[in-house]
Amino acid sequence: MVFTGDVKFQKDAADQNFDYMFKLLIIGNSSVGKTSFLFRYADDSFTSAFVSTVGIDFKVKTVFRHDKRVKLQIWDTAGQERYRTITTAYYRGAMGFILMYDITNEESFNSVQDWVTQIKTYSWDNAQVILVGNKCDMEDERVISFERGKQLAEQLGVEFFETSAKENVNVKAVFERLVDIICDKMSDSLDADPTLGSAGIMPTRLTNAPQGAQAANCNC
Amino acid sequence: MNEEIDETEFYHQDFTTASEWEIFCARLEEIIHQWKVDDLKTEDLNVTSTQGQWSIKEEKLQFVDVEFVLSYFKNISAIEQRKGVDDDDDTKKYRHPMETLHDYGLHDGSSSGLECPLATWYGLDQFITLNFGSFTSSITSESQIKLLLSSVQLAISNTNCSNPIFVQIREKWQNCYLGVYEDEQVRTNFEMIHLRKVPQHCQYLTGLLDLFKTKIMSPINLDPINVSVQLTYYLNEFGKFTWNQDLPDVDSEHFDMETSVFGLPFGVTQDPVSEIVLKTTWSHLPDHLIVDSENYSDFDPMQAPKWSTYCKMSDQPLCLLSEVLSDALNAINTKSSIYEILGDFVASSDYNIENPLDLLTEPKLPTLSTVIKRAARNSLSRSSRSTAPLAEEILVPILYFLFPDADEETSFPYNLGKDKGNEDHMGSETRRLIDNECRGFKTCKENSLPYRLAIVFIQALGILGGARAAAHLWFEFVQEMRFRWEKSVLILGIPTGFPDPRTCLLNQKLQMLNCCIERKRARETRETDACVEKFADTNSSTDEEEFYDCTSDRVEEEENRRRTKHSLWNQPVGRLGKFENLKLIKLGDPLYIPITQEPVPKTEDQLQEDTDILLQLGSDAQGSELRAKMMSASLLSDMESFKAANPGSILDDFIRWYSPRDFIEEDTLDQWGQKKGHLSARMLIADNPWVQMWESAKPVPANRQKRLFDDTREAEKVLHFLDSRTLSQVVEMLFPILSHAAICRLYDECEQVTPALPSAHKSLQQAIRLVQKISRDGTITERLCAALIQQIAALELSVSQANSLLYKFNPSGGCDETVFVFTEKLLHGCEVEIEGASKSNIGNKLTSMFTEAQRLANLILTEHGNLVENNSSVNFIFPQANEREFVMRVSAVRPAPYSKKSPQFLRAILSKNEFRFAGAFSEDIVYF
Repeated sequence: MVFTGDVKFQKDAADQNFDYMFKLLIIGNSSVGKTSFLFRYADDSFTSAFVSTVGIDFKVKTVFRHDKRVKLQIWDTAGQERYRTITTAYYRGAMGFILMYDITNEESFNSVQDWVTQIKTYSWDNAQVILVGNKCDMEDERVISFERGKQLAEQLGVEFFETSAKENVNVKAVFERLVDIICDKMSDSLDADPTLGSAGIMPTRLTNAPQGAQAANCNC
Repeated sequence: MNEEIDETEFYHQDFTTASEWEIFCARLEEIIHQWKVDDLKTEDLNVTSTQGQWSIKEEKLQFVDVEFVLSYFKNISAIEQRKGVDDDDDTKKYRHPMETLHDYGLHDGSSSGLECPLATWYGLDQFITLNFGSFTSSITSESQIKLLLSSVQLAISNTNCSNPIFVQIREKWQNCYLGVYEDEQVRTNFEMIHLRKVPQHCQYLTGLLDLFKTKIMSPINLDPINVSVQLTYYLNEFGKFTWNQDLPDVDSEHFDMETSVFGLPFGVTQDPVSEIVLKTTWSHLPDHLIVDSENYSDFDPMQAPKWSTYCKMSDQPLCLLSEVLSDALNAINTKSSIYEILGDFVASSDYNIENPLDLLTEPKLPTLSTVIKRAARNSLSRSSRSTAPLAEEILVPILYFLFPDADEETSFPYNLGKDKGNEDHMGSETRRLIDNECRGFKTCKENSLPYRLAIVFIQALGILGGARAAAHLWFEFVQEMRFRWEKSVLILGIPTGFPDPRTCLLNQKLQMLNCCIERKRARETRETDACVEKFADTNSSTDEEEFYDCTSDRVEEEENRRRTKHSLWNQPVGRLGKFENLKLIKLGDPLYIPITQEPVPKTEDQLQEDTDILLQLGSDAQGSELRAKMMSASLLSDMESFKAANPGSILDDFIRWYSPRDFIEEDTLDQWGQKKGHLSARMLIADNPWVQMWESAKPVPANRQKRLFDDTREAEKVLHFLDSRTLSQVVEMLFPILSHAAICRLYDECEQVTPALPSAHKSLQQAIRLVQKISRDGTITERLCAALIQQIAALELSVSQANSLLYKFNPSGGCDETVFVFTEKLLHGCEVEIEGASKSNIGNKLTSMFTEAQRLANLILTEHGNLVENNSSVNFIFPQANEREFVMRVSAVRPAPYSKKSPQFLRAILSKNEFRFAGAFSEDIVYF
């Protein structure tokens, strides 16, 4: 499907040093910590203040999943309302979304539904989404309980994590889980479609892959 | 022995003195023994036929240098069934293999069916055949046949084989066998006669019975013979029941554009059902109760207790819909450009130069009908140079179809996204379902402009004149697009708004062009308004904010106060409205939202270019900074507009509007009565892009800024894109849309035959998945497209077959469940028993079809032979049976009066050019 097409194309375009490439997007209201989250994951660094993202930026990180090098191209977006039209243009071809809110900010939580609508409108139907409540280190200022987040995620039919980019809580887990569900979805769509399987774009190994990485998934 | 050569033993010689024949016999027995052992294990090759599940084993063997194939057939389901019965009885009864009483097998349409007819002819459940291998074509020599039979005889007695073994003789196509069976009490000889002509005395049952009796030569009086009869009729002339579809013919007078060009064709060119076979059967009658002779027959098909039928489908009829798609796919290989194909038809004519005065004389906003007149006139003026590939009477209706706004009384208006309430309920429900199925397609809306274009384009390619006609159509289309851009006429049939990345590139390009036209119109209106104002009132103070604010006294006061405050060169401009009740931090003036430049629409190829550039900058900090610079154009524009609308504002003011969470409010109030606050930490980072940009931003209102979106340039880009396509590129763009249209058509057609073709939905789903993939791939993969075409062709054929059968058996279109089930089975190639035979509803339909066929046959006779139509002949519903099959069974004592009763069997198959006897005659081998 879209996945395989993109994988192929991207592979031709960029360097050959990977087996798959996934395009991921981090979206959410302004100053919920998207850039910090990405820097924590990609560079393992944290600064209390990152420059507010202008438009869109990206980072690359290669991970291993069952002996395969998966290159993650992670796009970090500006959360300001005025940037919506610019950023939504980049939703196309994204395989996964990290939808982020700030547990100390009610408004950012209330906007989650809007963001989901945006995803539905501008991305393909098989894009995977994970809901993330960031800044869980700031327990004192918390206004959104874990349960509310969890409940919303269930309602939306997506997975849920609370994270802290500052304290490095669950950051890696979110990305690993997202990669996992994208891979699962890929092999599912291949299984469902015998015509694709014969094309040999995907190795069968992914299909039979054990769900080892799920062990890292703890919703603290 | 001669097969199992060990690989390590490369020199092997048989030192025994066994003759070739002995080796052959031994091998035969070896295989039979092996199969006996295997019987206890699982089976290898299974074939399902109408008689149940068959297990077939094959083994090759050689006699000198002739290859033979020994095959073992076993009907698993029948044996299982019998086992169940036997277990109930608890006693192992003696059973002769001929006692199955199977009379007539059902026809099986699937090609994987049992190939050996012996099972049907003798009604056997288990048997072994010895066929000659593929290199031998016949065994005709008497001695050879005898030798083989002897080998088989030997094998049977040596192995105690409980199955009859048959030896194939004569020519291969004759399917002629001799066979033998033997157990402790009985030996049965299977004999077969195969002739071209039916001998005179065998024409009727009476003669056949005599022959049977003579052959048995029973020493005592024979029991009544059990007779079964089957008469088969072929129906291949359907007359008024023929389901037909006409190919559109452009040259014919009744050529209807609406049905043949504006929609995709569907169906097959000939009746997909070529023949219906009716079998009428009488089972197990005693011979003394029936008469069948030359003068009189008890077997009237109308009275037969059992009717069954199957149908034969035409071989590979031409499927119109899939043909259209194949044509399109083939055209992808035409690499010439549109202009090359059109040749001198357009070479010397550049539309813009051709009639330069038009640009001056025609009104700036033309009436819609001029749009078409121009196109028509253009093609007229050109016709002097060379004939147009598309004649005007064809081209103009097509253009009206694509651009219905040019025709005030159009019958093809676009109603995209409008409520479909006026459609009938059923129709809109189906449309909704189709829409839902097609939502994953990256194409365009059903019945939108690209959708219509794809259809008429492919029709031009197919029936209106091939590549030249298609190129001409595309040329006219592009001309029309250019015309609309130049005359600022919006393109209808395209969803409004920005290019939607979920649609195909062509749709996006047209949306883009529409965006450009819209902006251009807005610009032009603004300019004319400005002009008018200038002329009307030269000395009015056109303060723009007066448009947006009510001119209450209080406000006016404030304005006056402020006007004095700002110097002349720093008057506020480009205000959209107040932002809540906020005030500028430094001055206390209301904070105004500026009129900003509208966002920039982009098509997916442009976005891809942008993304590629961003990606090329690399993922390090430097690249990040460059990216921020590149992305900052709209931020800078917004800041400049903000400064223009709010003279004296600072970054804090801007941030409050633009990114409220970066302005942290405090609890204390400032001098203007609003909450004090400060910028967030990240906005305070020294030299961050926001601060830098704010410093470099000049107060310029949006309408005086450099345009972020240059509609003229973008429109030219789109037009150039359309104009420079080669034919193959056009087809590539249209193919997904065409597939979409094909799915819609198929969906409609399937919907109508669903009750008789429940499997249609599933294969439709597969086709839908393929279209999804094709439409999203971006480039056309021939493998996928071919798979799609195949899928569509198969479905199209099944639907046509269903249509044809329903037309024959359910002409009223009623909701008869039995007819649907019946049709479904026929479609799968099965022979179906008709419950109620001639008295049933389906029986009635068949009868009338045969009557029609007879009527036609008689008509032909009357015309050619000058024979007066015989009224009485109409009464004969059925013609002479095409095939008659008689089965006679009896238990007789042979060869001596004190012998045990053993089964005797004779089957006679009589058809126009074939006659076959298959007999099985048993005799007691203990008491004789």
